[in-house]
Amino acid sequence: MGGKPRILIVDDEPDVLLTLRLLLEGEGFEPSLAAEGETALRRIDEESPDLVLLDIMMPVLDGWMVLAQLADRPRRPRVVVCSAKTGELDIARARELGAAAYITKPFDPADLVETLRDVLAGKRNEARAVQHPAQDDEANSRT
Amino acid sequence: MMSGVTTTDQRETTPSRTASVRGEIRREARIAGLHREPSLGAIKSRRVQLSLVAFGVVVALLLVTTFASGWGPDSDIVVSPTVLRIGLIALAIGFTIYAIEKELHLRKLARLLEDEFAINTALSQSLHQYSALVAASRVVNSVLELEDVLDVILENALDMLDGDRGSIMLLEGSDELRAVAVQGHEGAKGAVVKVGESISGQVARTREPLILFGAADENRFPGLHKRDSAPWSAMCVPLENRGELLGVLNVSRSEGGEYEEYDLQTLRLFGEPAAAAIANARLYESERAHVAELLEIDRMKSEFMASMGHELRTPLTSIRGAVAASRRPVLSDEERGHLLDVVDRQAQRLHYMVEEMLTSSKQRTPGVMPMMRPVDLAALVRLVALDSQVAGRPVAVEAPKSCEVRGDPESLRRIVGNLIENAFKYGALPVRLTIEQDGSQVLLSVLDAGPGVPPEEREKIFERYYRADRTDSRPGHGLGLPIVRGLVTACGGTVWVDEGPEGGAAFRVALPVRSEHDRAAEPAPPDVEEQAWAASRGS
Repeated sequence: MGGKPRILIVDDEPDVLLTLRLLLEGEGFEPSLAAEGETALRRIDEESPDLVLLDIMMPVLDGWMVLAQLADRPRRPRVVVCSAKTGELDIARARELGAAAYITKPFDPADLVETLRDVLAGKRNEARAVQHPAQDDEANSRT
Repeated sequence: MMSGVTTTDQRETTPSRTASVRGEIRREARIAGLHREPSLGAIKSRRVQLSLVAFGVVVALLLVTTFASGWGPDSDIVVSPTVLRIGLIALAIGFTIYAIEKELHLRKLARLLEDEFAINTALSQSLHQYSALVAASRVVNSVLELEDVLDVILENALDMLDGDRGSIMLLEGSDELRAVAVQGHEGAKGAVVKVGESISGQVARTREPLILFGAADENRFPGLHKRDSAPWSAMCVPLENRGELLGVLNVSRSEGGEYEEYDLQTLRLFGEPAAAAIANARLYESERAHVAELLEIDRMKSEFMASMGHELRTPLTSIRGAVAASRRPVLSDEERGHLLDVVDRQAQRLHYMVEEMLTSSKQRTPGVMPMMRPVDLAALVRLVALDSQVAGRPVAVEAPKSCEVRGDPESLRRIVGNLIENAFKYGALPVRLTIEQDGSQVLLSVLDAGPGVPPEEREKIFERYYRADRTDSRPGHGLGLPIVRGLVTACGGTVWVDEGPEGGAAFRVALPVRSEHDRAAEPAPPDVEEQAWAASRGS
């Protein structure tokens, strides 16, 4: 393993899963995959990935519901939302729900990798924590 | 001589109305030794007086003439009896001539007074008619809603012609008339008469005004409704605008005098601006509906563009990702092959989407391009219900925890939203949403406690612009339900309306459940991970 960051890729598009898997593997991450929200939550519980790359529009349990459920968990992974939704409201909502970063599709693969590294290094998370300290406290105290 | 006088009088009085008659009356009154403003009664008594006096004088003179020979020599009058007789006879003749002349003047005066009365009556009648016509033209200019126009027309017609019952029947299709505005017998509203049948139907066919006295004859008017035979006197005129028959206008009264040709003429004249007003209101209505349709299409286009932009992003993501991944220094041929497949597949997908977009814009039905996928209908309905609640429209939801169907989430959201809106607009509280699974389909019902939809309207309400109750003034463009039908059909389902368990309307949407066949046909989520994993590993 050698301390490779583990990333759970959640997307309902098979080709997105496939390409991201190959891309991130090549960039030194250890990816795992989920095609919808329920599997994602199960794999988060079982594997405790370092980061979740989360699509929003998915069948059955969408990204919003995954984010909402993660907010209630004691040890939640960092989440980077990756969605074709580009509205400011969506971005704000993702931040409200605890996402560390928001990437809009289609993205520059290099940007994605950089963002993932930043978040894993805690840079983006700190920035968010500064923005919403109260929310973090609240999330922690609930546990 | 008399008839000559009358025609002269008429010719003079027509332009200046009563003024010249008035002058002549005064002149004649002076000659007849009457008050300046004589009444017919005064003239009559003056004529009686005159004839009595004349008769008395002539008789007295004749008596004197007859018995003058008996006058004795003691008499102081020394006139020969012959001369006396001649004188008295001449006096009698003279007085008679005078009396006859007076009588002629008095007769003329009486005639003039009657002329004046006739002119006044005609004036007041035409004033009445004129004001009603003015009111009708005001209707044309001020009221635009068809219902209001019809009501004002009917009210004015009844008021103008002292009618107590009336109706406006408008042509529907080519052979039916429907009573759309009714006064005096409200039960008749909505009644339908075939063109050619009954009184209205016959007027619609012949386009000739009709006037009736007493009970109408069933032999003359086949298909006559009983309520039509009751009025004492009735009129019916066609409503035509630019040669096109719009309907008929009925006016009747059960007491008072019979209608006459004059009244029919008035109603006929009134019918012209009335028909123009109806045509205008219809034009306005269709324009308004057209604008609503354009706005709706515009909105749908915007939504469509937004969702298209959105849908285009996903294949682009895959393509860019695949290109970036293929630059990895360590990559097996098989992995590279998979990535090239991704690029190819997603490029094809983009091509397909562009084709769809072009087809859709050709069909003028933007937005109707459902992205079919498995959707949890129960969760979706709860979300829409929550939005509705927030918007002040509480809805109760009775649904299983989850219920998967195949459909386009955006379409489904609009279907549920439109049905809720419809229930609040035309139904009554409480509004309930239920979801039941029934074999291979899921049944979504939107139930309200309103009056329900009559069986004959149940198909029509899904037609564009159709609104069940044309008399109500509630807002609506008549596109909500047609859109629902379009979206449901596009999702492979069916929509209809029937009666709910509590009597209100029950809108039902049957959607196909995601079948095993679907799962096999599409890249289903659970298999994806393995597939992608295998692909990335190579073998």
